[in-house]
Amino acid sequence: MGTIKDRYAIVGVGESERSRKSGTTPLHLALDAANAAIKDAGLKATDIDGFMNYNEGDSCTSHQLATYLGVRPKYVKDIQGGGASTEMLIADAAALIEAGQLNTVLIYRSLNGSSGTRVGRGYDPDMLQGALAGGSFVIPYGSASPSQWFGMYAMRHMHETGTTKEHLGHVCLSFYEHAQRNPKAFLHGKPLTMENYLATPDISSPFNIHDSCLELDEGNALIVTSAENAKNCTSRPVYIMGMSARQCHPHAHYWNDIDQVASDYVAKELYENAGVTPEDIDVAAIYDCFSWVVLRQLEAYGFAKRGEAGEFVAQGNLKMGGKLPTNTAGGMLSEGYTHGMNNAIEIVRQLRHDYEGTDRQVEHCKIGICTGWAGPDIAGAMILRN
Amino acid sequence: MTYQKPIPLKDQDNQAYWDAADKHELVLQKCNDCGTFSQPPGPTCANCGSANVGWEKMGNDVQATVYSYVVSYRPFLPGFQDELPTIIALAQLDRVPEVKIMGNILNCDEQDVQIGMPVQMTWVDITEDRALPQWQPVTN
Ligand SMILES: [Zn+2]
Repeated sequence: MGTIKDRYAIVGVGESERSRKSGTTPLHLALDAANAAIKDAGLKATDIDGFMNYNEGDSCTSHQLATYLGVRPKYVKDIQGGGASTEMLIADAAALIEAGQLNTVLIYRSLNGSSGTRVGRGYDPDMLQGALAGGSFVIPYGSASPSQWFGMYAMRHMHETGTTKEHLGHVCLSFYEHAQRNPKAFLHGKPLTMENYLATPDISSPFNIHDSCLELDEGNALIVTSAENAKNCTSRPVYIMGMSARQCHPHAHYWNDIDQVASDYVAKELYENAGVTPEDIDVAAIYDCFSWVVLRQLEAYGFAKRGEAGEFVAQGNLKMGGKLPTNTAGGMLSEGYTHGMNNAIEIVRQLRHDYEGTDRQVEHCKIGICTGWAGPDIAGAMILRN
Repeated sequence: MTYQKPIPLKDQDNQAYWDAADKHELVLQKCNDCGTFSQPPGPTCANCGSANVGWEKMGNDVQATVYSYVVSYRPFLPGFQDELPTIIALAQLDRVPEVKIMGNILNCDEQDVQIGMPVQMTWVDITEDRALPQWQPVTN
């Protein structure tokens, strides 16, 4: 994807209300998000000729969304997927535009993740054994929640590097602090102290409730088009400098190798394509389904050496004014949770300087990174600029 | 009282493992071409893609050390609500260090579990004809 540098842009972003009980369907939430993104871009719905969605069997289809926007699209695509799907679909959109198939693509993620189908629980055990690679070697032992799966990775990593529970807490505290400046964050008005964090009992060691992402009802959308088309939009375009759409390490055997993660493979291609280094990044959106996942990615993407991510975070570097302000709307730990798209939306807003003149703006930021993590085995990421 | 927890489902690729487990033995899938052990087993070798895979008997005296673990305080599956907290561990086999096998550590207080702790495999009869490999601390 090296050749696409600076030739594609995100020109619109939008989200629905977020809540524990929307009282409505993912289609309604998707329409709210899509309309907000279209308005943000200064486009008409009929300017969009491609619609893409990722879901876990918990959403409406792209075809439905397009229909109720009054659009007869040239192209619809719905993929099964969680984290890193935002990056992959943006790459797919750029490729289809590059190939002359489409002009402008709307990508969305919408779910009733609290009141409807929940990601982290409620599966039929026999279905899970079949659906999960090697599931019969995991499910009979009571391991069915991402908190338990990633906890296994985290405990080993902490053992090897000396990363501590307090370090995990600093990730949470940093993002909760951002949520207190974001009135739309779900945990706005619910600040977190280290004392409270450490006093909260674990759900799956080393994680307590604060280390885990929120499950909410929410829709998000963003619009991708060419740099040329972006001139017709009223928003300030945010250009894609480089991507590594989706890389994998051995799927079925990831229980047997909990030391490597797919993000390790993504970083090299990503920086090569973008032509920048970690030192050039001003603002970050790091996939944060769990606090530890942030620490491990800080290592993978070169922001801290192995074993030093905990100290990097403890020094306040993820906060406003730190070296790498990260998940500045509160992230999935405290703003909302759409498998990464809410973090992608925030980095676009930061790079557009939408918050200029407030304490939420990362001053003078030019280049941002957005990472996706679909578990240890799949990751994708992009680097954006204004 | 019938067993409430999920029972390992046998399929084409894992049948030999679970059939052996029912007889209180461990077998591991091994590639006859490149020598790689596969855990969990699969249709072919995930290292080289060869379909020339077989099974190696490891017997019923299986020693390992805890490679990582979580202590789970909430039940995410039926049956576990009665045995909280649950220790879920990944144990590295002494004889085949490239293989790690997940299991619960039985007869172990959650404060006592730690990475590097020696454990041995034990088989728990869960139905009339099924048994589940588990770990327990090595006691002298
Ligand atoms: Zn092989």
